[in-house]
Amino acid sequence: MTQVLDDRQIQMDRMRYVKNTSSSRLCYLAILLNVLYFVSIYKSDMGSWYYQFLIGISIVYNLLFMLVAFLASEGVKNYKTAYSNALIILGAGQILRIFVLPMQAHSAVVKISGTEVPVMGNPQFIFCILMLLGSAACLIGAAVINIRKSKMLAEYESAKAKEAA
Amino acid sequence: MAQLSLQHLDKIYDNNVQAVFDFNMDVKDGELIVLVGPSGCGKSTTLRMVAGLEDISRGKLLLDDRDITQTPAKDRDMAMVFQNYALYGHMTIYENMAFSLTLRKEDVNVIHKKVLAAAEILGLTSQLNKKPAQLSGGQRQRVAMGRSIVRNPKVFLFDEPLSNLDAKLRGATRREILLLHKRLKATMLYVTHDQTEALTLADRIVCMSMGHVQQIGTPLELYDSPNNLFVAGFIGLPPMNFYDVVFQDGTLKGKGFEVELSDEERSILSGHVGKELVLGVRPEDISDDGALPVKVFSNENLGMNTLVHGFMGDNHRITAKLRGWTSYKDGDTIKVRMGRKHFFDKQTTNAIRKGEK
Repeated sequence: MTQVLDDRQIQMDRMRYVKNTSSSRLCYLAILLNVLYFVSIYKSDMGSWYYQFLIGISIVYNLLFMLVAFLASEGVKNYKTAYSNALIILGAGQILRIFVLPMQAHSAVVKISGTEVPVMGNPQFIFCILMLLGSAACLIGAAVINIRKSKMLAEYESAKAKEAA
Repeated sequence: MAQLSLQHLDKIYDNNVQAVFDFNMDVKDGELIVLVGPSGCGKSTTLRMVAGLEDISRGKLLLDDRDITQTPAKDRDMAMVFQNYALYGHMTIYENMAFSLTLRKEDVNVIHKKVLAAAEILGLTSQLNKKPAQLSGGQRQRVAMGRSIVRNPKVFLFDEPLSNLDAKLRGATRREILLLHKRLKATMLYVTHDQTEALTLADRIVCMSMGHVQQIGTPLELYDSPNNLFVAGFIGLPPMNFYDVVFQDGTLKGKGFEVELSDEERSILSGHVGKELVLGVRPEDISDDGALPVKVFSNENLGMNTLVHGFMGDNHRITAKLRGWTSYKDGDTIKVRMGRKHFFDKQTTNAIRKGEK
């Protein structure tokens, strides 16, 4: 039992010098999954369905998403709790995005030579949803891990400060 | 325990240049050996052969009686500290110190304990979150040492670790290395061209020139009883004064000067009557209360001592390190006395000692 406690203390002490790489790596994975999502979403473009105002917003959002997710990954690496909030918002945004382009494209049809063809078939729809869900899970997971670790670290440091005093 | 045995080591490069000739030495457990010599004398090459960074052309290297001549560097259980620190700039000090253990996939808790212990020894605990660029040269060198300590190697190898530091920091870091050696009781090989480092750090010094070992001995042995002219001239600051002389009629006769000898000195030279010799006198063994006239041309006050430079006999340069503060002027004539004298055979350059012919 003593050994377990010792190890736990060492782990907390170690956090003072080692960065929160698990959270930041989850952020990188979330960015990667998002990239897989947006490079595949326009693949099944049938006719001119995608050529609408939403496509521009989608592209701009993807760029902003990558920027903010990367900055937040650096923040959580240093146990900054404020960046967890940004990650949770981005994660929730990824879930909401399922209901925008993928859902709309999945339910939309275009006429090609008089035949109605779905804009997005089931396999691609599932793939896009999985990418967005995966990305959201990574972001929220990174945020939760960071909150937990930074809380532990803060408690440990205040206990050490009290000891020193 | 770590005993190192270097047996007849030679280093011959691909272009047939031989850098090290027949290097022989046994390093005892916990001993601090300093390899000293001028640039290009083969001291760093010898260290790199021990580390496994250079192939050994001939000879054997034994660590605790185990032949490691062909063992790759990573398996030799030795840690090397370089002159340029070789730290990773993008990593923190903690990460730098933990790096080798992380590569070995050691348990993170064990790594943490080792890094903290090494940082404590080296006084780096408060610097662990910084990057190398934020530290001074001395601190960076301590990090480099810490990176070696965490590995707990059998032998520490230092390749001119203080050369990049300024004089003040060099002195402080030198003392830290000495303390570290006393604390770890580890076997260490240390390369330097700075004789002060050699004299202050070493249990034994290896003095090298042109790839050959000139003398192995304690600092006092090298200072007090140099084997030859090279060692006599290299060890000691300011360097020893040398004069071509002939032993005749119980005195040493040089060009334009004559040096009286004691009975003991005469007996040392008894087998060299009429032969060409070299007389060596350390500046600190010269005092200004004798009979040998010297024309002063420079008087350098150093605080506790004064370096007086002058000419003796037929324009032979002489440097005397006199105690206290003197104010001789250019052109003054002082009369000096030579204390402890060293005698060398001019042909072989070897020292002449009592009982040797």
